[in-house]
Amino acid sequence: MVSVSAPYIYVCTRMRVRKAKLLPREEYMRMLNMSIPEITRFIEESQYKQEIDELGTAFNGINLIEVALSWNLAKEYQKIQEIAPGALKKFTQAYLRRWDIQNVLTILRGKAQGVKSGKIKEILIPAGSLDIKELDRFLAEESNDRIIDLLKMHRMYPVLAQGYPSAKETGSFSQLENDLYKQFYEEIIRDARSGSIKGGASFLAYIQLEIDIRNAKTLFRLRADSTEEDVRDLFVPGGTLTVNDFASLNAIKDQNEFIDQLKANARTEALRALLEELKGQKSIRDIEVRLTRVQLEQMERMSKRNPFSIHPVLVYLEKKKYEVFNLRALARGKESKLPSEKIAEYLVI
Amino acid sequence: MVAEAIVPSVDVGMTIEQIKATQIGMKAVGAGVAVGLTGIGTAVAEMGIGSAAVGAVAENKDMFGVALLFTVIPETIVIFGLVVALLVLFV
Repeated sequence: MVSVSAPYIYVCTRMRVRKAKLLPREEYMRMLNMSIPEITRFIEESQYKQEIDELGTAFNGINLIEVALSWNLAKEYQKIQEIAPGALKKFTQAYLRRWDIQNVLTILRGKAQGVKSGKIKEILIPAGSLDIKELDRFLAEESNDRIIDLLKMHRMYPVLAQGYPSAKETGSFSQLENDLYKQFYEEIIRDARSGSIKGGASFLAYIQLEIDIRNAKTLFRLRADSTEEDVRDLFVPGGTLTVNDFASLNAIKDQNEFIDQLKANARTEALRALLEELKGQKSIRDIEVRLTRVQLEQMERMSKRNPFSIHPVLVYLEKKKYEVFNLRALARGKESKLPSEKIAEYLVI
Repeated sequence: MVAEAIVPSVDVGMTIEQIKATQIGMKAVGAGVAVGLTGIGTAVAEMGIGSAAVGAVAENKDMFGVALLFTVIPETIVIFGLVVALLVLFV
C-alpha cells in the first residue's frame, strides 16, 4: 500500500539534492589554504553567488562573507518553509523557532552593550517566525523593555517577561537563554507528541537525539570549567537523562568514570563508540565537534530509515547551518591569521 | 464423430448467436480489465518516481533527461496490459 504522499516525496528529494550540493570535505581543505578574497571568490562560485553579488557594493572583506552567509542561510530556511507541505511545514517551523530565541537575545544583548543597530542587524538570521521587518522594528527601539513589550503576542513573552528583569540587573542573559531554550524544547516536544499530526514520532526521535547531545555537551563543558550556577538549571528535559542523572553525572570527578556512566545512558551505538574514544580526551572544542558529528551521522541514518519524513528536511537544515558556521569560522580564522590546523579543529566536517 | 456422440449436450438456455456474442463481450471486458488495472499499477508507481523527479529537476535542471527516463519506466506495465488486451481481442 502506498503510505506516503507525492508532496512528501517531492520535498524530501529536493532536500536530498540540496544536501548533495553542500560543500564536501575536500573543498574545506582547499579553502584552508586560501586568503579572504580568494574565499569570497570561491563561495561566490558556489551557492552563495546571489548574496555576494547583491552585498558586494555595501560590504567588503570579512563582513561581506559574514553577511552573505547569514542572508543565504535565512533565505534558504524561508524557502524550505515555503515548499514544505502540511505536517512537514509545521515541524520545520517548530524546528526553526530556535532562531527567534537567538535573534531576540542577540538584539537584547547588543542593545544592553550599546552596539549600533546596523552592527546587530548584520548578525541576525531571520529564519524563525519573526521576519526581518519585525526584527527591524525591534532594532529601531531604544530600550530593551520596549522590545519585550513588542513581543507581547509572541510565545516567548511569558519567559522573557519573567526572566528579563533579573538579566537586566545582572547584565548576563545566560539564565534567560537557558529558560527560553527549555521552553522551546518543551513546546516542540508537545507539538511532536500531539498525536493528531502524522509523522510526529519521527520528529520526536530527532528532538530527543538533539537534547541528548546537547546535555552531553553541557556536561563536558561543565567539566572543562567550574561554574557558580546551579547545574540543574542547565539541564534540558526530554531526552534520555533525568535531571537527577544529570546532577549526579556532573558530580563525578574522574573523567573516565564519568564517560562510563554517560555511556550507560547513551541510546545509540554511534554515541557509545564515540564516548569510548573520548576517554582521556581533554580538548573541549574537539569533544564538542565530535559530538556534533555523531549527531549529524545519526540524523543521516534516521533520514535513510525514514526517507519520506521530516528527517531529510532536518538533516539538510542542520548541515546547511554547519556549512555556514564552518565558512564563518574559516573566514574569521583567516582574518585573525590563525594557522590552518587550528582552524580545521573548529570545522564540523 | 464418436466423441460428439458421447458428450451429452447441455441446455444453457442460449442460442449459438447469444453464446458467441457473450464470448466477444467477455473478451472486451478482459481487455478492459487488463488495460485498466495495469494503468492503475503504472499510476501508483509513477506517482513516487514522478514527484521525486520533479523535485530533483527543480533543484538541478541537468537531471531532466534521466528524471524523465525514470518516470516513464513504469509505462512498461501498462504496455504489458495493452499487449494482453490486444492478444485477447484480436488473436
